[in-house]
Amino acid sequence: MAGVQLVNLTKHYKRGSEVIRALDGVTLKIDRGEFVAVVGRSGSGKTTMLDLLGLLLKPTAGSLVIDDVETTRLSDRERAHTRARKVGFVFQEYNLLSGLNVLENVMLPQRYVKDGEAGKRRAIELIERVGLTDRIKHRPTELSGGQMQRVAIARSMVNRPSLILLDEPTGAVDTETAQQLVDLLKRLNREDQVTIVLVTHDLDIAAQASRQIRLKDGKVLADEMVAAPVPA
Amino acid sequence: MEILRNITRHKLRSFLTISGIVIGVLALTTMGALAENFNALIDGGVKYFGSSIQVGPPDGQAANLIPMSKIDEIKKVEGVQAAFPGYQFQAKPGGAIVVSFGIPDTITAVDPDENNYSALKVTYAEGRGVTSGSHGEVALGSTIAKEFKKRVGDSIDLPVRPADAKPDFVNHTFTVVGVLNETKTAPDTFAYINIADGQMLLRDSLPATLRSSIDVTQITEGISVYGKPGTSLSDLDKVADRINSQVTGVKALRPSDLVNGFKSGGAIFTAITTAAALLALVIGGLSVVNTMFMAVAERVREIGLKKAVGATTMNVMSEFLIEATLIGLIGGLLGYGFGVLIVVSRNTLFAPADGSSLFLITPALTIFAIGFATVLGAVAGVLPAWRAARLDPVIALRND
Repeated sequence: MAGVQLVNLTKHYKRGSEVIRALDGVTLKIDRGEFVAVVGRSGSGKTTMLDLLGLLLKPTAGSLVIDDVETTRLSDRERAHTRARKVGFVFQEYNLLSGLNVLENVMLPQRYVKDGEAGKRRAIELIERVGLTDRIKHRPTELSGGQMQRVAIARSMVNRPSLILLDEPTGAVDTETAQQLVDLLKRLNREDQVTIVLVTHDLDIAAQASRQIRLKDGKVLADEMVAAPVPA
Repeated sequence: MEILRNITRHKLRSFLTISGIVIGVLALTTMGALAENFNALIDGGVKYFGSSIQVGPPDGQAANLIPMSKIDEIKKVEGVQAAFPGYQFQAKPGGAIVVSFGIPDTITAVDPDENNYSALKVTYAEGRGVTSGSHGEVALGSTIAKEFKKRVGDSIDLPVRPADAKPDFVNHTFTVVGVLNETKTAPDTFAYINIADGQMLLRDSLPATLRSSIDVTQITEGISVYGKPGTSLSDLDKVADRINSQVTGVKALRPSDLVNGFKSGGAIFTAITTAAALLALVIGGLSVVNTMFMAVAERVREIGLKKAVGATTMNVMSEFLIEATLIGLIGGLLGYGFGVLIVVSRNTLFAPADGSSLFLITPALTIFAIGFATVLGAVAGVLPAWRAARLDPVIALRND
């Protein structure tokens, strides 16, 4: 039951005459509901892999199947629609819109899903699940880093995606807040059976995932199941 | 709501940008209203002179007088259905010569039947028109009635005695029997009297040495000639040509020459006023382009995020286009509002003593002023919106 399947997925960039092999023929299967941590040094290809999984980048070669849909042949418009329905993003810098309050930020992806059944009620429910009901009308500037990341997590789930991609989600918060965020992610992963792919430098965070993929120079160096992930 | 918030996010910048549009639309509204007023006058001329042939004395004749017998000769020309004498006099003689966008107050002596033939019909807001058998009756145009504060039943001395009138200045008391509906053109400043009273005023206007030797009932200042109803302009031209060839001692003007003269004058005036205003508005539009480019530069991460959560190129483009269009619309509405305020103030609060109006707001002008500002805003937003829509989300998301 593969939620995401990468077959020889490759992304090369040209810098002058030099070819940068950001991702070099990666083949992976990620089952629905898995909690995967992707680790590796800077330049190992983590972020490129995340951008490819999120359909923000087009691969140079290879195949990427999400929920049985071959995505590499989709048009820009179809990729945008797939992003809206199947993928949620969480970034290190939160990327909340300062002009919108918590509820409006969470509801943002719903604008791009015409037949989305998730409405305001879904957004309010998610805000409640991430523990921010009392902050629902607050603007991002009135929230702490941890709270902003909770809003971003709620936003990533509002359209009931099958895949959530997190790029260093704990990189801008303290250790205690980071652990709270990981606990939240584990709970949502367990309750909603949503597939989570989390890119991190923090090995303690990565150790709490159910599977760890280590990248080096654009290739998979190691792919191992974590023995007993700690339940949230 | 978010778009409004984006506009108000940088209040001073938005205020200055919208001000540029406001000034442009204000200029367009006032200049346009000036042109519309002028065009309404022109349209009246086109309508009147496009449906009749004006016959006057031949070239080179000093006095503007024609024997009344010429009317019967003209009526015999093929294509002529009716011909009427006419007299015109200054209602306020001796006034200073001033540049005016309107037609000066004029006493016009016409045959009441002429209204049945003219394309420029006059109707009455109160009372009735003068009758041919009466004496001392006048029907006032809406502007001249307002100027002299006259209603049906009042009396008015015409021509109006100048402040520095000589002792031998003669005028007569007329009873107002009707006030015309506003036409926005010539009849508004006209005082209509019948032919007999016109001949009386003609006699008064002649030099004293000639008065007793001229029978004013046998002369007219001009003749208005009409063809059958529905006669085309080109056919009227042919009738005018026939009059010139068959009737001596008169000159018939080709209606198309008069109409074209009016139209070209109106077109030049409209072009000059509108072009000046559009220039101001386009300069305002450039400030929208600048503002929208700045907005795109400031919101690169936001654009990246929106693309990441599913916005298509069209979604992003339309958001910026709507924002630019809204700036144009707000500027258009405010500019038009201020323009109308100025125009209405000039026409009412600061109206000139003669009661004339300088500006005319029309539905077409309203739609054009607001519509142009809105479209200009949209057009000004195209390039910035295109740039926003084409941003690479990967780069945009990590933009500092």
